[in-house]
Amino acid sequence: MGLFSTAARGVTANRARLLPWALALAALLVVALALPASRGRLVREPVAAAGFVLLALFVVGFWAVPSDFTRRMRKNPLSVVGFSIIVFFVAVAVLAPILAPPPPTSRNAYLIPQEGFGSDPRPPGPRHPFGTTEGQYDLYYGIVWGTRTAFRVSITVIAISVAVGLVLGGLAGYYGGRLDEVIMRLTDVFLAFPGLVLAVVVVAVLGRSLDNVMIAIAVVNWPTYARLLRGDILGIRSRDFVEAARALGASDVRIIFRHIIPNAIYPFLVFGSLDVGLIVITAAALSFLGLGAEVGYADWGMLINLSRNWILGAPGNPFAYWYVVVFPGAAIFLFVLGWNLLGDAFRDILDPRLRGAG
Amino acid sequence: MATYIGRRLILLPVVAFGVTLLIFALLQFLAPEMRAAAFITNPNQLNALPAIIEKYGLDQPVHVQYWNWLREVARGNMGWSQTARQPVTQAIRSFFPATLELTVYSFVPIMLIGVWLGTAAAVHRDRLIDHISRVFSISFRSLPSFVWGLLILMVGYGRLNWFPPGRLSLEADLFVRSGAFRPYTGLMTVDALLNGELWIWGDAVRHLMGPVLTLTIISIALLVRITRSSMLEVLRQDYVRTARAKGLAERVVINVHARKNALIPVITLSSLTFVGLLGGVVITETIFNFPGIGRWGAFAAQQLDIPGVTGFAMFVAALTVLGNLAADILYAYFDPRVRLQ
Amino acid sequence: MTWTRKFVALLTCALILTLLGGGVAQGQAVRNPDTLVLVRFGDPESLDPAYAYDTASSEIFLWHVYETLIFFNGGSTGAFVPMLATEVPTVANGGISRDGKTYTFKLRQGVKFHDGTTMTAEDVKYSLLRFMFMDRDGGPSWILLAPILGVDVTRDDKGNLDQSLFARANQQIKTSGNTISITLKEPYAPFLSIMAQWSMVVNRRWAIAQGDWNGTAAGLRTLNNPAKPEDTKLFDKGNGTGPFRLVQWDRQNRQAILERFDGYWRAPAKLRRVIYRVVEDFGPRRLMLQQGDADIVSVNRVEQSQVEGLPGVRVVDDLPQLVVTGIYMNLKIDTTGGNPDVGSGRLDGNGVPPDFFADVNVRRGVAYAFDYATAIRDCNRGKAAVNKGPIPNGMFGYNPNQPWYTTDRARAEAAFREARGGQVWANGFKFTIAFNSGNTTRQCMAQVLKTNLEALNPKFKVDVRGVTWAQYLSLYRQSKLPMWIIGWAADYPDPDNFVTPFMHSTGTYAKAQGYSNPQVDKLIQDARNETDPAKRRAIYFQLMRIAYEDPITLYLQPTGFIVMRNWVRGWYNNPAFFGPYVYPMSKQ
Repeated sequence: MGLFSTAARGVTANRARLLPWALALAALLVVALALPASRGRLVREPVAAAGFVLLALFVVGFWAVPSDFTRRMRKNPLSVVGFSIIVFFVAVAVLAPILAPPPPTSRNAYLIPQEGFGSDPRPPGPRHPFGTTEGQYDLYYGIVWGTRTAFRVSITVIAISVAVGLVLGGLAGYYGGRLDEVIMRLTDVFLAFPGLVLAVVVVAVLGRSLDNVMIAIAVVNWPTYARLLRGDILGIRSRDFVEAARALGASDVRIIFRHIIPNAIYPFLVFGSLDVGLIVITAAALSFLGLGAEVGYADWGMLINLSRNWILGAPGNPFAYWYVVVFPGAAIFLFVLGWNLLGDAFRDILDPRLRGAG
Repeated sequence: MATYIGRRLILLPVVAFGVTLLIFALLQFLAPEMRAAAFITNPNQLNALPAIIEKYGLDQPVHVQYWNWLREVARGNMGWSQTARQPVTQAIRSFFPATLELTVYSFVPIMLIGVWLGTAAAVHRDRLIDHISRVFSISFRSLPSFVWGLLILMVGYGRLNWFPPGRLSLEADLFVRSGAFRPYTGLMTVDALLNGELWIWGDAVRHLMGPVLTLTIISIALLVRITRSSMLEVLRQDYVRTARAKGLAERVVINVHARKNALIPVITLSSLTFVGLLGGVVITETIFNFPGIGRWGAFAAQQLDIPGVTGFAMFVAALTVLGNLAADILYAYFDPRVRLQ
Repeated sequence: MTWTRKFVALLTCALILTLLGGGVAQGQAVRNPDTLVLVRFGDPESLDPAYAYDTASSEIFLWHVYETLIFFNGGSTGAFVPMLATEVPTVANGGISRDGKTYTFKLRQGVKFHDGTTMTAEDVKYSLLRFMFMDRDGGPSWILLAPILGVDVTRDDKGNLDQSLFARANQQIKTSGNTISITLKEPYAPFLSIMAQWSMVVNRRWAIAQGDWNGTAAGLRTLNNPAKPEDTKLFDKGNGTGPFRLVQWDRQNRQAILERFDGYWRAPAKLRRVIYRVVEDFGPRRLMLQQGDADIVSVNRVEQSQVEGLPGVRVVDDLPQLVVTGIYMNLKIDTTGGNPDVGSGRLDGNGVPPDFFADVNVRRGVAYAFDYATAIRDCNRGKAAVNKGPIPNGMFGYNPNQPWYTTDRARAEAAFREARGGQVWANGFKFTIAFNSGNTTRQCMAQVLKTNLEALNPKFKVDVRGVTWAQYLSLYRQSKLPMWIIGWAADYPDPDNFVTPFMHSTGTYAKAQGYSNPQVDKLIQDARNETDPAKRRAIYFQLMRIAYEDPITLYLQPTGFIVMRNWVRGWYNNPAFFGPYVYPMSKQ
């Protein structure tokens, strides 16, 4: 856990290194405010703009922190690429109302505006920079707002999985015995399904909607977290400081929340962040089976599912509809790639067996 | 060891039972009309909804339905799968050989390429080949599997006409049905060889190519990763250093000393890969119209064909438990440290 | 690194091969010249003619394995030619009694079943009775039960078979030598249409040998309402008089294989084999067509542009169909236990009360607001037409001259202003239009209507919601949907089969809409029993008029299209067919 403990000290020590970054950011803001078009949007969406600034500061701060962890991250070109991709997507998500303002009549910004309803996609043009899908949904809008959906889905799924995993894994690991046995058999049952099939059943039963997609993926995911936490707790339970707390008469609840969870949670969160790519891919697969977000909702899986009939192109021109595949495909690909690259780097760094090896 | 295996085998029915319980628990959410949907194929039947619900007992409490179902299973009757248009046991029997064949054929390239790339990446750590292999394997799993499947179908069938969808071409299919061909195993390639019909074998392999390629692409990344890190660990071990110090050729060091030990976790992983493939076939079989168990399972789940999903899930769950058991046994067998305990 | 280079070289090679390696000649030579391969997206329910009630099943066996007494003349749905009978019964030739209740069919001599035995009048009687008394829940048996016995089901409320019905049916269907006569309960005008589609003759002796119903009242217990499709012995076997015999229904590979029957009573078919395959995904289906591995494939309207212009492929469009798509308004929305689709459930601008659509002005407003032209152009590729009522255009009973709603914003506004004494206009509303997920045509129509209504008044709010088929059925049955979209395909080509579901108080849709008009119910019954075509037509005109004046549903009639390889010959369309009639077809 030493990786993170050095973080606090870095901010002050390296103020000098932050300077160029801060200057660049300020310059960007000045330019944005100077251009009338973007100024109008910034003024209309102050929350998004402020969120973006905060995000930028956070990223710069994080990157400048001199810890073992960031040093290794910086050294690895793949992780830098992964990190940049994710930061880019976060920026798009935060700036969505500025990048793609919803039409004034819209009651829900996540519903992609349509221009007409015709079935054949139309290629990119001035009104639709990425073109339109079947049903004339604007691809650019869908991809920008779909970024928010991607984050929402992955964060919600991880939050549910972590919560359930924390409780059940914690109980199993801490109390052990019969309770442990029951909970572990429960995870066996969930893990005995191919994940996709269980998710399909859950969505089919609950009805097609994005919320149910999240629930379904969480149902598939939680056992992995529960097992992970249980394993960690088994390791920590017998450590000296826990024994000491127990000897001092601390209650079980106190021991779990004050001592065990704080010590077990970091690998847990790292593992969760690695899961993001897989969650987005699974959601897309559910869309493919007709069980994803509703058609017209800003969701990449929905967009790429709309493209499935057009991947084959028109007769004589296999690339006639390239844009319906390429843009949402690229969005999913880059997003998942970013997390996978980052995850790979995380694992390398966190895997003690590999540290210092040459 | 024997008691360990025995204990794990006892778990098999426990897990299978849990799986059915889980599915029936999910049914709590369903209105009887929704459960009747699998029986309605045509709006003209809508007026018969109440009768259908009554007939199949769909309005009974879930626990009653579960009990009835369980009683039938005890008699060896797993029910009627509306989506397969046949009894569940028969459906499993007819769909599984195709899936088994597909997984076996995918397994070989996944293992070979995965181990090869993983070793190469570890030996040449942080060099070009390492980065290339990682970028490739990471990219492969960064696109939804159905996009890969459709692209492979488009190029491999639409453009090149190399690997068509389905399991056999028309001529081969008609020949296989004729009296001249005896099905022994249900695995088409094996049966073709047993019958001495090489062209059937070729035809079957041709049809396997597309799904196999798709499965390989989506499953290879994990194997590359594990081989790489396990190889890296071994390369640091004392005996490898000793081997190097002895002045053995690098190739000998790697192939004889290092790789053998690095393969231990890979062997364990192999049976898990096998289980993982069972999940991967769901999308792949759908795209390539391959008549396997995954296509049926997904379809049954979408259509809420309850006996179908339950039977499918129980069967796959049993396979998963057996696969995990195999992984444990292999691990114990290959790792002397575990064996000693 | 030499082998890095090797790896890169290998990859490059593969890439070049892929891009340059031209497609294997997309053979213009006819593939499998004596076999017709039809690729569709749905499995047949059962191949038992008395059990199946879905297009995918009928498409396979109807007129291919099993034949009917009379048949449609060419592309007409109202004119008949003899098939297993030697003439079409009329009052003039004595085939129909003066009172219009008894139909007598003279049977063709020497017609052979697939096992070589000869068809007799007993076979016909057995087949009709078997069809009526199979009567599975949700099955087609009512189609014969209604005209002959005047009932829709053979069981009472507790599910017990009413044995007296069988005695009556046994009396009413009589054989005498080579003729069979059927006496109806009351004159039933659509009866010949029904006979042309639902009088499929199965081989009685063969069926009994298979362990199927033995033809007696005692045996009905096993025949009636089988628990699962497999319980009928003809589930995956067949023995009829048709030009093809059923070789196998291979449910693993999802295909049904038919082979030419050389002892057919007419000239044997030109094709040796017909294969019906199921491929759910459009991608492989289209590629199979492109490569010539499929001769005829099912294609949705949305995907049409993907097959147009494929070399060697012919698309025949604008085929009339006996299908009507409706947008239904629910006059009595069920809101018990909460209903998310009606918002607040009150007319406060954020919902609609349960009887919102009971006001005819609201329904007229909707009918005037809907942009039919856009819906037809964008949602149906221009291949649909507004239908002025439930009876499809082109069918007997349709009145092309009656008035109907056209898109008219001013009238729509006027109607909404009048509704509920101006409250609707002043407060606004919010409700949901539902469609079954995955049906893009219906979704598109819902979106068009939503756009139209919201454009009238900023206080009008409409949501569009897709629900899975299972949920759709559930919500529909409970009358929970304020407005929904679904189609209706004919059971037999007669207006009765359209006015009943759409307008009768017990009809499939009208009932769910809470619509009940005693006058309409009576008119429908009268038309059914009226044998004078002129008088019957007048009644249907009257019903159409009511459908206009008191609109509960907006109707569209989509047209169909078929996609086939150029080498397919001899195909022709009849709206009453469930799929291509293969007997006259060939490949060259």
